[in-house]
Amino acid sequence: MHRETVENVAFRAGYLSIMACLLLPLVVVVVTSFSASGQLAFPPENYSLVWYREFFASDLWLQAFDNSIVVGFGTTALATTLGVTAAFGQELDDGRLGSLLAPLVLLPLLIPPVILGITLLVYFNEIGLRATYTSIILAHALWATPLVYFVMRSVFSRFDWQQLDAARDLGAGPISSFAHVVLPNVKHGIFVGALLAFIVSLQEFVMALFLSSHGTRTIPVLAWSELRQSLDPMVSVVSTFLILISLLALALATLATNLEWVSKQLS
Amino acid sequence: MSDTASSLPGGLERVWEPLRERSRSKRSLLLMLPLVAFELLIFLAPFLILLRISVAEGASASAFAEGTWSLGAYANVFTSDLFRSIVVYSFLMGLAVTVITVAVALLYAYAIWRAEGLIKSALLFSVVLPLLTTLVIKTYAFVPLLAPSGTLNDVLLSLNLISSPLQIVPGTAGVIVGQVYIVLPYAVLAIYSVMATMDWGIVEAARDLGASRPRSFLEVVVPQAMPGIIVGAVVSFAWSVGAYAAPALLGGGRDQTFAIQVEEQMLTGFRWPTATALSVVMILAMVVSVALLFAALNRFGGEFEYA
Repeated sequence: MHRETVENVAFRAGYLSIMACLLLPLVVVVVTSFSASGQLAFPPENYSLVWYREFFASDLWLQAFDNSIVVGFGTTALATTLGVTAAFGQELDDGRLGSLLAPLVLLPLLIPPVILGITLLVYFNEIGLRATYTSIILAHALWATPLVYFVMRSVFSRFDWQQLDAARDLGAGPISSFAHVVLPNVKHGIFVGALLAFIVSLQEFVMALFLSSHGTRTIPVLAWSELRQSLDPMVSVVSTFLILISLLALALATLATNLEWVSKQLS
Repeated sequence: MSDTASSLPGGLERVWEPLRERSRSKRSLLLMLPLVAFELLIFLAPFLILLRISVAEGASASAFAEGTWSLGAYANVFTSDLFRSIVVYSFLMGLAVTVITVAVALLYAYAIWRAEGLIKSALLFSVVLPLLTTLVIKTYAFVPLLAPSGTLNDVLLSLNLISSPLQIVPGTAGVIVGQVYIVLPYAVLAIYSVMATMDWGIVEAARDLGASRPRSFLEVVVPQAMPGIIVGAVVSFAWSVGAYAAPALLGGGRDQTFAIQVEEQMLTGFRWPTATALSVVMILAMVVSVALLFAALNRFGGEFEYA
């Protein structure tokens, strides 16, 4: 009995300290963004909003913010279209092409992003897409599409396909039966997939580092190059915004389905 | 799915069914085509070009000499001491990160599985949020925490636990801490998603039969969670061997991973054949080691299952 209590306490202390370690770096970022000095120290000696004011006065950061949004929406549109249509097609298919599709879509996630970055850099040079939004969007879609695709596979596998057959038998065409029967049942899944695609694009920086130019660099890319020059709380301010956006997306995704389901889709 | 068709009169069904199947299959091909085309154009085609450049000759005036063939870049990669030490560092770092990550992730996934209500949500949340946060932030947050004048050293010094600051960042220890932090959420979720399908009754049975808690965990939970552990280990390993951000930001001069080297050869040195050959070698080495890891862990899991 006594031994069990010790084990229980040790186990609880173990996972709670891991949880603290998981959240601590994010807490550090948010807290240091309110630092009054130009030094990055945790905890800061004095607190102020001076770095937030600086952020909203900086054309450099605001431009990067715009770039991130453009790339994020582009990636979301592309990845969602590709992922949803392919997962839908695979559900109707009996699995010849489909069985090849999953590994092909998954593979880019396992290739180190530096290699993907230089590969695409060479390729886009060759076909004349260098340093455009399009090149970054296409690269990010390589990572975002698998997420949408696997989320949708899991959503479609839970859908009762006899409903679609019934609609067809009652005379609905392919488009209207999809719009009226399938879509209402899977729209939460599509929404979560799209949200994840947006977040992936917003956060990715290694590929964007290679593919962006001065005019198209995204927030993480600018943060990275600023960091290598000096460590000041500005990066914390920017990071706090990115964390807030992730929190918001997570809250929306959790409302649409639930946290447990969202977590499983990410693994 | 064929239920509706089978309700048709017998003769009609025989004609209708194959027709229906064919049109369905064509339509499904059409739906999959955009994604297939995208992967071919944006993933496979670029890799063929990468392969082509890796067997071209280097040139002094440009990135590579077009139209030439040479295995010089590969010879360079295999004979250079610098590249050898970089590859060794990348793999050892990847291995260390994988071992630590899987051990911590197992414990944490188990905690999520056993928890209920608010605690379960809190544990899941603490995994998903870092997962959705950019690499740049995740690595940079460790600088004020672990640097010689950082928070950890301040605390340890003021408690008189150490007499001089620990050199964690910049350094190999810092790289490993940062990289574990980056891959841990993936491993936790991979293991948890398998655990969630497991039956708690088996663990209870083992305990009723006299197994201690650690023993029931190691001999009942771990073998059953093997599929998740394998996925977690493969992801941790692949991402750590190819790591760029953590070594670049938290490492010292000796923490050169091949990803940093590829970037240098490519953008600073402008030696594309060398950079691409290094990439190709690295991908192949990774594929082989991931396959070995798969096989080893599978075997390990199998042995445990029958013990």
